[in-house]
Amino acid sequence: MMLTLLMGLPLLGALALLLFPPAKAKLVALWGAGIPLLWTLWLFSQFDISNSQFQWSEAGAWLPVLGLNYELGMDGLGLLMVALNTLLTWIAIYSARSEIERPRLFYSLMLITSSVISGSFIAQNFLLFFLFYEACLIPLYLLINIWGGEKRSYAATKFLIYTAISGALILISGFGLLWLGGAEDFSYAALADNSLSLKWQVLLLVPLAIGFGIKVPMVPLHTWLPDTYVAASTPVAILLGGVLAKLGTYGLLRFGLSLLPDGWAVVAPWIATWAAITIIYCAFLAIVQQDLKRMVAYSSVSHMGYVLLGSAAGNNLSLSGCIAQMMAHGLVLAILFHLVGVIEAKVGSRDLDQLNGLMNPVRGLPFVSAMLVLGAMASAGIPGLVNFAAEFAVFQGSYRVFPLQTLVGIVGTGLTAVYFVILLNRTCFGRLDSKRAYFPKVSFNEKAPALVLAVLIVVLGVQPNWLMRWSEPTEVKTVVIVPGEHNVSLRDIGGLLLGDSSL
Amino acid sequence: MAEIYLQSGWLIPLYPLLGILLTVPWMSLRRTGPRPAGYLNLLTTLVALVHTVLCLQAVWGEHPVRWTVDWMQVADLSISLPFELSTLNLAAVAVVTVLNFLVQIYAIGYLEMDWGWARLYCLLALFEAGMTALLLCDSLFFSYMMLEILTLGTYLIVGFWFNQPLVVTGARDAFLTKRVGDLILLMGVIALYPLAGTWNYAELATWASQNPIGGTTATLVGLALLAGPISKCAQFPLHLWLDSAMEGPLPTTILRNSVVIPVGAWVLIKLTPVFALSPVVDGVAVAIGTISAIGAALISIAQVDVKRVLSYLTTAFMGLVFIAVGTSQVGVAYFLLMSFSVAIAALIASTGSIILTCITQDLTQLGGLWSRRPVTALSFIFGTLGLVGLPPFGVFWAMRFLETSLWYEGQVLPFAIVLAINGLCAFSLVRMFCLIFLGKPQVMSSRAPEPIWTVVIPMVAMAALTLHIPVMLQTLKLLPIMQTAIGETGLLLIWSSGLGLGLGIVFYGIQREKLPADYMPQWCINLLSDDFYTTGLYQNLFIWPVATTAKGFNWIERYVIDGVVNLVGVLPLLSGETLKYVNPGRSQVYVFTIAICVVLLGLFMSWSYLPHLGQNLFSRGLFSR
Repeated sequence: MMLTLLMGLPLLGALALLLFPPAKAKLVALWGAGIPLLWTLWLFSQFDISNSQFQWSEAGAWLPVLGLNYELGMDGLGLLMVALNTLLTWIAIYSARSEIERPRLFYSLMLITSSVISGSFIAQNFLLFFLFYEACLIPLYLLINIWGGEKRSYAATKFLIYTAISGALILISGFGLLWLGGAEDFSYAALADNSLSLKWQVLLLVPLAIGFGIKVPMVPLHTWLPDTYVAASTPVAILLGGVLAKLGTYGLLRFGLSLLPDGWAVVAPWIATWAAITIIYCAFLAIVQQDLKRMVAYSSVSHMGYVLLGSAAGNNLSLSGCIAQMMAHGLVLAILFHLVGVIEAKVGSRDLDQLNGLMNPVRGLPFVSAMLVLGAMASAGIPGLVNFAAEFAVFQGSYRVFPLQTLVGIVGTGLTAVYFVILLNRTCFGRLDSKRAYFPKVSFNEKAPALVLAVLIVVLGVQPNWLMRWSEPTEVKTVVIVPGEHNVSLRDIGGLLLGDSSL
Repeated sequence: MAEIYLQSGWLIPLYPLLGILLTVPWMSLRRTGPRPAGYLNLLTTLVALVHTVLCLQAVWGEHPVRWTVDWMQVADLSISLPFELSTLNLAAVAVVTVLNFLVQIYAIGYLEMDWGWARLYCLLALFEAGMTALLLCDSLFFSYMMLEILTLGTYLIVGFWFNQPLVVTGARDAFLTKRVGDLILLMGVIALYPLAGTWNYAELATWASQNPIGGTTATLVGLALLAGPISKCAQFPLHLWLDSAMEGPLPTTILRNSVVIPVGAWVLIKLTPVFALSPVVDGVAVAIGTISAIGAALISIAQVDVKRVLSYLTTAFMGLVFIAVGTSQVGVAYFLLMSFSVAIAALIASTGSIILTCITQDLTQLGGLWSRRPVTALSFIFGTLGLVGLPPFGVFWAMRFLETSLWYEGQVLPFAIVLAINGLCAFSLVRMFCLIFLGKPQVMSSRAPEPIWTVVIPMVAMAALTLHIPVMLQTLKLLPIMQTAIGETGLLLIWSSGLGLGLGIVFYGIQREKLPADYMPQWCINLLSDDFYTTGLYQNLFIWPVATTAKGFNWIERYVIDGVVNLVGVLPLLSGETLKYVNPGRSQVYVFTIAICVVLLGLFMSWSYLPHLGQNLFSRGLFSR
């Protein structure tokens, strides 16, 4: 019941929105998102940190014929992801502009999205996960298409098609797991019990990796992301970038690494290289962007590469880093998107050529600039802020296994500094154009989300144990692999695909 | 009582952090002026200073006090924060806090009318916290963390007057150049752990003494670790940021040149045993130190901007530290750092006092200030004496020990180079002195009173400290002053200093028609005044490749990756749009289409039989004669 509530509370909030007038919608939505957040905090206090099993498991038969059962459970990874989701939903709703059109529909769609995402993080059945995974497309499609900016319908369609393809590929892998592995139903426990040969594991991992690779996203499957993030309004962008992208890496950890460990060990070097390419490629792209939001979007893709690098290395340390980086990425991306939203609302532009001198203490946006510096520097991996601890754990862990890719990743943090310095120099520094500088005041409601996130970024950066400790039992359970153990070349993988059974 | 001070030594970096917190109200609420922010920070710095002195007293002649605090515990990696309170560490912390305190008083006068007090003092406190934490921690990992935080601090403090274009580019250059070094250092830090299993300097030294690794590994790791200090200490080829960083407010320049950069060198000195694992790394350290020292000293002679002259001298002196570390002269390196930091502080403070009232920092517009600014002139002289190898001042002894050991180790080339650098630095400083204080007053320097006391007092205090450094170091028994005889190498040093000073006075102290530069070829002047064209080097080595790659990737992104995606999207639409014209509603067209399709289908299905058809016809003899 504890976990069902986690999904049920936002849904109740969405229903409650119908009973109140539009003017009250935001307040009700804040409660609708706030109560699940409090509930998550309660779960933190009840979570047994020494237990590596799934906790608060719930099970009920649904469609046993299909192997689809209502099975929920939570481990450290799920707990952190759910926490990120409930927190960012609350932040996103808080950061929504109060004069938004059709507020009740908007907020209820936000709450439904949040509920469905929570569901996919706590599902214990592959088919159930898949249902949630696909279900969150519907509200998100509407959210992008109705309240988005320019080119919203192009972006929404692109997002929908890409994610649908990703879903199809994942489903192929799931069916393969069930049929080839000889499991009774789709529950994780049954799927984990498979006795698949290495060949089949690798074969099943390919669609899985591509499917979740679209969601993460990985180069060259990423082009939906900048378009979608830019077209989406600020709250939706926070949800998309902060939480939804994590479904991709979560899926890789849950299904790739945990269910197909031997295959993962074979594929891991390729994934690590793929991650390194993503990091560098998107960092370079961020450098040339003129649009603030697009720059942040590319930076987001680039930084998901670190998560992937950590998951590829697959040792305890790198996985801790990987999970922490998922959290850090969510927090930092949320603060950056929120601030970009505020700047756009006040100054009326996101163009780096138009913005200037916002740090001016009297007529500029000093608070927003200060927070922007913090967010950008957190993203660039300055120690004392949350990203550093996470990235450091990823690097230290993956260096043992993939030294070259790790060094490339470190170069990526240097490039992050390059584009964020460009961003700060153009927006915060410089001379404020006094003719245009009649900006509306930044209200407390616009400052509050940034403050909350900033406090979290600093506190978790100074005291990273508070972040790292939750997922430790999960890793102990997950890690069974030594990447590169089976030294497999591209030719061997080709051979596997063509049915060579020598491995 | 003494125990309590030492046990609470971890508070020293926290006082400035408290200062930062106290400053926050004056950043956001501007009901009152921002001055209380400055005074509060002054107070916290004073508290930190007093605490440091008490600790220093307590640890006097005792064993160092050590304790560790757990920081991060992840999987099999547990990072703890080892504090070490030894006489040496605390003396360094004392230098940092004293100079910070003086600089903060100096800033009260220097930035009297500025609206950014809260931000300035907040950043000064950030520097103090970072530096004291770095000095008290005995761990490479935390040194790296603090260096990164200082990099961020440099960016923000150089960008203090952010609405000037030069400041913005200066801040950017400083940040990115230092970041390059930081990241290579990070690579080294990460690579070192699997080899050594520790980041503690003390344990690293024991580890290194057993010669655990050698060859390429040691060289690569050593070079990566060397890169951090190279960028922090503004050594060639990563030296240009110090020059651009001069765009920041002058009090921060004092702080940066006198303590922030030496703190980078502190990390270098701590890593000496690791560098010593590979002779290549030691060779590179000496080579970089030599090139930087000679190059920077030459460049500094050719500058007309007073701040630049001093910033290049800083690079030159850090080059000496690199030479000392490359030849494993740890004690000498500490000695050089301590005496250098106070002397350069006095020099920059006195030039700041001139810039403040003369409103120019161009050497060609100054002159004749000796009678108008005696206090500043004396401070400048004391700073110069502290920085030039003349007994009995601090740097002389440091250099003498360096020279003696170089001589005994048979390193003739570095020996000669140190002498040359000393002479060049003396020449550069005297040139600056003559151009500012001697000669005839010019428009900018004819009306120049001594500035407000909050500027003068710290300046004089720094000059006085410079004079006392050798005495203090000897009483503290910190550094290897076994004998205070001048010796033969000392005589050589005095000769080189005397030569530099004398030539400087001859060339610049006496009024002449032509300046020395007029006797030099133009290419030589350009080479020196343009920093050996390092900007071009950066442009071609870093900026151009990054910009071009970024543009290239952007092209690929738009026209290849997204192009394919959009093509896939557009094709069904286009084909649908085109095909709809095939349905006009006339039955003839449909019948015609069906007929064509049937023919095509028939051809397709019988394709493989067509050749046989011909064969059959031939074989049946239908076409035979």
